Amino acid sequence: MSNVDELARRARLRVVELAARKAIHLGPALSLIDVLVALYTSILRRDPARPDWPDRDLLVLSKGHGVYGLYAVLAELGVLTQDLNELPGHPSDGIPGIEAATGALGHGLSLASGLALGARLAGKDRRVYVITGDGELDEGSNWEAAQFAAHHRLGNLVAVVDRNRLQQEGDTEEVCALEPLADKWRAFGWRVGESDGHDITAVADAVTALEAGDGPAVLIAHTTKGRGVPFAEGDPAWHMGELDAAQRRIAVAALTATA
Amino acid sequence: MTTTSIPPHHTSIPPQSMRAALAPVLAAAVDADPSLIALGADGRALFTQVLEQDPRRYVDAGIAEANLVGVAAGLARAGLRPVAAAMAPFLVRRANEQIRLDVCVPGLPVVLLGVGGGFGYGPLGPTHHAPDDITLMSAMPGMRVYCPADAADAVSVVRTLLADPSGPAYVRLSARPDPVLPAAASESDPRGPRLLRDGDDVLVLATGRCVAEALDAADGLAADGVAAAVASVTTLHPFPATAIRELAGRRPLVVTAAESLAPGGLGPSTAEALGRRGPAVISLHTDHRYPPVAAHQDLLRFYGVDGQSIRSAVLSYRNRKTREA
Repeated sequence: MSNVDELARRARLRVVELAARKAIHLGPALSLIDVLVALYTSILRRDPARPDWPDRDLLVLSKGHGVYGLYAVLAELGVLTQDLNELPGHPSDGIPGIEAATGALGHGLSLASGLALGARLAGKDRRVYVITGDGELDEGSNWEAAQFAAHHRLGNLVAVVDRNRLQQEGDTEEVCALEPLADKWRAFGWRVGESDGHDITAVADAVTALEAGDGPAVLIAHTTKGRGVPFAEGDPAWHMGELDAAQRRIAVAALTATA
Repeated sequence: MTTTSIPPHHTSIPPQSMRAALAPVLAAAVDADPSLIALGADGRALFTQVLEQDPRRYVDAGIAEANLVGVAAGLARAGLRPVAAAMAPFLVRRANEQIRLDVCVPGLPVVLLGVGGGFGYGPLGPTHHAPDDITLMSAMPGMRVYCPADAADAVSVVRTLLADPSGPAYVRLSARPDPVLPAAASESDPRGPRLLRDGDDVLVLATGRCVAEALDAADGLAADGVAAAVASVTTLHPFPATAIRELAGRRPLVVTAAESLAPGGLGPSTAEALGRRGPAVISLHTDHRYPPVAAHQDLLRFYGVDGQSIRSAVLSYRNRKTREA
């Protein structure tokens, strides 16, 4: 197993251990871990020793309910050292590595657009990344922001859609269809890439390729909700949940077997 | 509904627009401070001179208030100081969650200018009315809320805010030209109440457009043999409670007048500041009745916050007290 895959595996184990202690947004945390690992290990310009380095690239987790995935990755990277169980269920200000409080859906893309525009106005060579959920794209404010970012040619802005096709209420296409999703982004003036969201190298390559062009870009990362925990994969019931002892054993065994 | 003529003591000076008065102030501020950045969602009129000066200092969000506020929050997190304008009814309601979560909870220095608060858009109807802007913004954590009385007062408030980059602020601006008030309304510090006219019988506290109404009421009351003091209150949050207590002094009655729903507004804040041992407080404010198609001035009368309503409230109270005595 490669180093990055191992990092992702250990992050998933952290999420499982958290879910064995209390109800958390398990499925959304597990679906985005590989995307986070790709961004943090290959894309984001940052200083591991100084999470608040003023010239770092920024990551906004618009789907704030996936925060335990982010906490777990930041813990593996050594950015977060406290007990993850004590951290809030959505990103909040003041936590190392967290750039913005998020979690009310449909806010992140506007915030990230402001951050990207602010970097440009300040003459900084800084890039801003935002991860949205797919269900979250039901919120119209995303499309206000998409139109805005394209109009202002925000070339230092990259969005990644965690396209796991499940929102809390069920299949995104049955709740309120998003497809043709790539065409929607293109129609709004964005460059679009797609990749397997669990292939860390593929995600990193796709983001790197998107950064070569002009204006904002989006990667649709095809993922599986609950990835890595067999009984949770693809099951909307595990959008949020707490693992009992038997479920924890199954989850840990599945994640350990892949080592 | 009949059209009310402009009250007599304002006829000498033509009404002035807050937006016209603010445009050069905003342009000068943006020019002087590179950290300031102007944004608008259908709010360009305030920034015409910024655009003439340097179009790069104005960011147009289009007609998209939620995104306007989210972008402003991102810019503030990037170290800039956004001044964002939009029509008040859409800013305070459509972008309500972005204002609370993206701006207020982290305490970012974003100045929000709401054009056409209260009933300023008059006959355009309830879609464009914002009698709830003060109430909604007063519920926001850490939000400073201002309701200037005329164009000069709006300039005074915005100058004060731009000099003080601490935390979020909301300023209710009028949509149309307002009566020009005595200079005293605008020249002193807008953070405290300002006594515009003295009198021992009653203190009338008013905010925004109602300050002009309070002065009219005081004229009328003088003819009735009642000496009314009038003070303008531009800052509603943080409420200048101590100064209001001092101002109320020994007067037996305080009447408040605001073009605003009561919660979080001038009346309840005054009553709370004066407490149970203070003078009687009569709060005149608007309510949820569906409005007639009417000019701004006539809507003030419909909701009972115009000069005649203030005068009637004082006289009724005094008559009741006389009968009780």
